[in-house]
Amino acid sequence: MAKAKLFGAQNFHLSNGLEVVVIENHKAPIIKCMLWYKAGAVDEAEGKGGSAHLLEHLMFRGTKKVSGEEFDRLLKQNGVESNAFTSLDFTAYHHNADISKLELVLALEADRMENLQISDKNFALERDIVYQERKQMVDNNPSATFFEAYRNLLWQEHPYHRPVSGTSAEIKALTKSDIENFYHKYYQPNNAVLVLSGDIDLQTAKLLAEKYFGKIENKTKVAKTSFPSLANNRQAELKMSLPQITSERLVKTYVAPSYNTEKTAIYALSIFSKYLGDGETSELYKDLVLDKKLALSVSSAYDYTARSYGLFQISALPAEGVSAQELSQAVDEAVSKAVQNMSLDKINNTKDKMLSGLVYLLDNPFDAAETVGAMTAAGMSIKDIENLAQNIKSVTYQEVKTAAQNLFSQSGEVKGILSPQGAN
Amino acid sequence: MSYRRRTKSSGWFLKLILCVAIGYGLYAGGRFLWQRKTIFNAEEILSQSVLQEKNFAHRPIEVVSPKYKIKAYLLEEKSNPIISLSFMFKGSGYAADDENKQGISNVVAAVLTEGTANLDSQAFKELLENKAIGISFSASVDDFSGALVTTSKNKQEAFKLLQDIFVQPRFAAEDLSRIKNQMQKALLLQKEHPQSKLRLATLQYVYGPHAYGRNPLGRAEDIAALSRKDLQQYMQTHMAQNNLLVGAAGDITPEELETVLDEVFGVLPKTSALNFVRKAKPDFDRGEKNIDYPAAGQNISAFAAQGVARTAADFYPLYIANHIFGGSGLSSRLSKAAREEKGLTYSIYSYLSLADNSPLIQGGFSSTPDKFAEVKNIFAQEWNKFGKYGASKEEIAEAKNYLISSYNLRFSSISNLSDILLYMQKDNLGLDFLQERNNNIKKVSDKEINDVAAKYYQADKYILVNIGNFAQN
Repeated sequence: MAKAKLFGAQNFHLSNGLEVVVIENHKAPIIKCMLWYKAGAVDEAEGKGGSAHLLEHLMFRGTKKVSGEEFDRLLKQNGVESNAFTSLDFTAYHHNADISKLELVLALEADRMENLQISDKNFALERDIVYQERKQMVDNNPSATFFEAYRNLLWQEHPYHRPVSGTSAEIKALTKSDIENFYHKYYQPNNAVLVLSGDIDLQTAKLLAEKYFGKIENKTKVAKTSFPSLANNRQAELKMSLPQITSERLVKTYVAPSYNTEKTAIYALSIFSKYLGDGETSELYKDLVLDKKLALSVSSAYDYTARSYGLFQISALPAEGVSAQELSQAVDEAVSKAVQNMSLDKINNTKDKMLSGLVYLLDNPFDAAETVGAMTAAGMSIKDIENLAQNIKSVTYQEVKTAAQNLFSQSGEVKGILSPQGAN
Repeated sequence: MSYRRRTKSSGWFLKLILCVAIGYGLYAGGRFLWQRKTIFNAEEILSQSVLQEKNFAHRPIEVVSPKYKIKAYLLEEKSNPIISLSFMFKGSGYAADDENKQGISNVVAAVLTEGTANLDSQAFKELLENKAIGISFSASVDDFSGALVTTSKNKQEAFKLLQDIFVQPRFAAEDLSRIKNQMQKALLLQKEHPQSKLRLATLQYVYGPHAYGRNPLGRAEDIAALSRKDLQQYMQTHMAQNNLLVGAAGDITPEELETVLDEVFGVLPKTSALNFVRKAKPDFDRGEKNIDYPAAGQNISAFAAQGVARTAADFYPLYIANHIFGGSGLSSRLSKAAREEKGLTYSIYSYLSLADNSPLIQGGFSSTPDKFAEVKNIFAQEWNKFGKYGASKEEIAEAKNYLISSYNLRFSSISNLSDILLYMQKDNLGLDFLQERNNNIKKVSDKEINDVAAKYYQADKYILVNIGNFAQN
């Protein structure tokens, strides 16, 4: 019997190295087109924070062939919803379009892969806009302010400590040539993944990818980034009080294996995260929210789709009258208990829950593009993506237990407590 | 424009004719020279595209259950073995909560997924996860809504669970107490972010004592006092067959849906008994209000002006007008003037809010305190200019093209489809709406759009609420 498909993703490479991922979904005559560059804030030169993000903005301001106004007008005129985002690891440009408009989108995307033109005026305007964006998203949001400081402590010398936006001072100091350098260094076919998810077949996708991207040449070879190694067993703690904050909250983070650092561990850790703290049937929720009533919410999350290390994080909101410090101790106890009480039955049940709804992944082509795109851009092979369910199924109970023990014994822990002013 | 009507079946001959028509249109539009000069030729790319326009082919039908005569719209879509049900109890939103029970609709929405007579909270949630069944409820200002998604394989269990929720929700003391505590915390967290403070302050300033001015989450003392009996009574009075609407999409036949309607929703009381929410009449001449928040990194503004109901004759013209003025993307009047040309803000936008008892044009913007007065000024100028002069022919054509060409994008998931079916019924749009909607946009005249611009974007006739640091201005 043929194995059930997870997303139904297929891929191929053009001769210039561009990877193309195709996910067929013929429910409606629509498509999501995403172009992922494997370049983000971690690739910025020291002190040039915000370059990747400012470049993302300037990519909408025109090329040698198409002005920014014309770019925008063409997409609007054709009902295309376009946007982009920058993260530590990637920058992605995405368009939701009627299938009949896909070629226009591809032509525009291919054009700005090689022909970006930044005028002094547009540079100055966009730098002002990203400065305002930072003020809106970070400086006007107390929990974002906290997490910026927290990530700094967590990652230290590793480039994951950087704010994607850059600091206010860094943004103001960026120059046009900083952005041009970043563009020329990283924006090329062999450093990108094109995702086409929707009403298209593989053959048409090959034809169109070749037609629009096939002739683009690589400017340079993009060297594989080498990331610093973090010492094991680091312990650190950040306490921050802010006047806007009304309620304490707690976060604990463990630097964890990713697909790129320790591929064999990621499936076991995914199961462990689900078992430990994902949802309202998880061990932490039952122990801390339902039984002990020390927390109003608690959850864990594990992310292995990173170019460098992955992250395992536990977040909790203390109940009324419980301090974050008390809750922190209770979380440690609950985690130990959950690892100790792990059983074959419980892990099998967790795996069943993870695998019960896979068919939903075939529903929404826009969601599939984002998920598969992020995985592919992190370096996951299509085979590994499509085999995800199988790989989770084949993890043994003992492997989950070992992965959990390794996580807490080797990674160390960085704790963060955000409090109202006057609480400490 | 004619070339948008191309269909897949029109064949090469029609395509050839239409390509000629496009060329003619360009020449007549005076863009021929531009087309020759540039290397990037969008029209040629589109006209020669191997992927041509298709219609979203599915047509919904109306299903009426045999026993209780419960109606639903259905869109059968078999590409995946999954089913989505969206349902709504009209008029049971938080604005209709009893005056001294503000927040009850939200509490009911949360406690309904905490088990049934036979299954305690944990057993219930275990079952949902093991069977990949999603059941959720929520209360908006006007309505109480629910959603169910299930795989075809587990549909019987899914429908039975929903029926059990309606017949005998557990409402255990322990679960109610926990959810009340979580709601109290949510009320506190609302005060942390200036944007959410602004939202609440705007509702109060626009609506005053009207129920639309309430905190959408409810009131702390009312939530604290809610009892199990209150929740049971809420269900009896607010969730009935006569205020129920259902939309179904996915792998389900009309016959199956008929059975589901009778079995799941047939257990509900026949008639509801809802508090009447009168029409709100905000005074849009009240002008501006500042809320001091010295810690703000930016000042943020929200504005509100008279809008139109979804069923009103002015709806489509205003929908297009708003898109030009402040709709999505960077090419709206507001975005061009304040962001693209001046770099003063990251976001500035407007949208139509379609609440039953007070439709509005709403929107907002933000900027650092040193630039704030300038952005506010630009907003006022653009508003007044739009009311006075309306939109150009080109702007209108572009907006219509966008709204028409982007229409299919909403059919991306079966839960979107079932939601659309629900709103088609709520707004009486008719079974042929999916096929007719683009015609409704097309047939709006330039004059109609400029008439609504003059009628709704009257000089200075909007309320503005700002939060931030105003010491420098």
